[in-house]
Amino acid sequence: MEFEVDEKELKAAGAELLPDGRRGLRLHGWEIESIKRPILNTRQLQEWEQKLESSHFPEMIFGDSSLVLKHMNSGTKIHFNVFDALTGWKQEALPPVEVPAAAIWKYKSESFQQVILDYDYTFTTPYCGSETEEINAELGREATSEKGNCSLCWEESKEEIDLASLALKEPILFYDEVILYEDELGDNGISLLTVKVRVMPSSWFVLLRFWLRVDGVLMRLRDTRMHCVFGKSTNPVILRESCWREATIQALSAKGYPSDSAAYNDPSIIFQRLPIIMRKTQKLKLPGTP
Amino acid sequence: MTFDPFPSSTNGNLDEQISQLSQCKPLSEQEVKVLCEKAREILMEESNVQPVKSPVTICGDIHGQFHDLAELFRIGGKCPDTNYLFMGDYVDRGYYSVETVTLLVALKVRFPQRITILRGNHESRQITQVYGFYDECLRKYGNANVWKIFTDLFDYFPLTALVSVESEIFCLHGGLSPSIETLDNVRNFDRVQEVPHEGPMCDLLWSDPDDRCGWGISPRGAGYTFGQDISEQFNHTNSLKLIARAHQLVMEGFNWGHEQKVVTIFSAPNYCYRCGNMASILEVDDCKGHTFIQFEPAPRRGEPDVTRRTPDYFL
Repeated sequence: MEFEVDEKELKAAGAELLPDGRRGLRLHGWEIESIKRPILNTRQLQEWEQKLESSHFPEMIFGDSSLVLKHMNSGTKIHFNVFDALTGWKQEALPPVEVPAAAIWKYKSESFQQVILDYDYTFTTPYCGSETEEINAELGREATSEKGNCSLCWEESKEEIDLASLALKEPILFYDEVILYEDELGDNGISLLTVKVRVMPSSWFVLLRFWLRVDGVLMRLRDTRMHCVFGKSTNPVILRESCWREATIQALSAKGYPSDSAAYNDPSIIFQRLPIIMRKTQKLKLPGTP
Repeated sequence: MTFDPFPSSTNGNLDEQISQLSQCKPLSEQEVKVLCEKAREILMEESNVQPVKSPVTICGDIHGQFHDLAELFRIGGKCPDTNYLFMGDYVDRGYYSVETVTLLVALKVRFPQRITILRGNHESRQITQVYGFYDECLRKYGNANVWKIFTDLFDYFPLTALVSVESEIFCLHGGLSPSIETLDNVRNFDRVQEVPHEGPMCDLLWSDPDDRCGWGISPRGAGYTFGQDISEQFNHTNSLKLIARAHQLVMEGFNWGHEQKVVTIFSAPNYCYRCGNMASILEVDDCKGHTFIQFEPAPRRGEPDVTRRTPDYFL
């Protein structure tokens, strides 16, 4: 079912769709685009292996897919891409989580030499989006907040995303979901990083979600929500809330919840069963017109 | 050697069933039951290392993508005009596991010398309960009987095959096992059982080649990886040219590894209806050597396109 945008609603909101078959729109000085491509091919994978210094990656890497929200006046680009997400995975490098079958494997003592590989096969990432400032597009100079070039700085904030206003059934002018990577953990569960966007006449809203289920062991949900309300100001403000939840199957079953993995296919249904282990809200004030 | 286990009157019936299945229409529960009884008699006579003559076309994972299997037969040639060797994973993930596995089993019963169907790690009771086949059977038949009939039959599927060309190709779903040095080691164990959680039978269906030398254990704590040195040694010991295996998604549909000692073949294009990958099959012929044929997804009718989403008011 293709999402058809209502022409009248687009017009009323002052939005225009992107040309040339691109997916997205321009609205209130923002250009919002989702890019969906196939998984990386072998040659690209080899390049990534070198750049990220790893030969183990998720089974499905949609390395050329992304979601980009560009504020055209300031040249600020908020974007969600796989490379940065996997860079975060490499840096966090969580210790391995053993699957239930591991107990039997350990019990067997083998006579041959073997090495236990030690990368984090769950591909857990602290990634919460990337931001780039195109200082001068013609010169192609770029600055990112990560490199300390701090015109783009997320500050701690006490504000909260206005979920009540987001719950209003405002028309959706643009909607998409982009899968960034996915792995079936060798049929031991799922690791999935996706980003969803919806653009309404009054704001845009993004949910970046990392969802992990290691069957019989644990579940992990790392959500990052971003909200930007369109206003008169030329310096928009973006609110970003990150919320990490995690629970072992053992802990859930002790609380009387089911322990079979079939009951945990959809994180948006069961997320409240998982206790929050980290939560923070930050704010980004976009610089004015350069 | 052209022993036909069934009188031609039943073949007529079977031909009708194959024709029905080719239109993606499932058989009745009773028909599945009878079919699988016949299939069991054929499969139980096959070896753990089933000999296969060339020319033959070797295929990887299908995963219930029925229309792509139909495309595979259009591209590779119809069975029995072309001989086929499938390396497992017929069910789960896709929408048509029932039709896919029933068609392959029906072809096996109709043309036992023309098609070989190996066991993949998804041909198991445990895995199919999590990844789709069980639910699909419930949905299409209203009960789990057909699932039970098929998963009981999966226990009889051969684990590996040996294709004789000028030198031999060892075919299997996953990969090598540290408990197996020779093909006779494979021939000698009792395969008629649910896929165990560890041991040689588990390894053949689950292990993966890796860049790292020697034997590796997955960070999950279960599952082996084998390096190029292991593949070289195994091929040398058993006078093999190549190990052909499936089990892993690759964008191009096939992927050489270990200095061409191992090849991965994946035959489900646009896997899970969203990866955008090519599929491939490998034609092996005494005269022409081997040829990979890549193919794209068949044009779809009536299947949800998962890349297009209905907007929702997510929070």
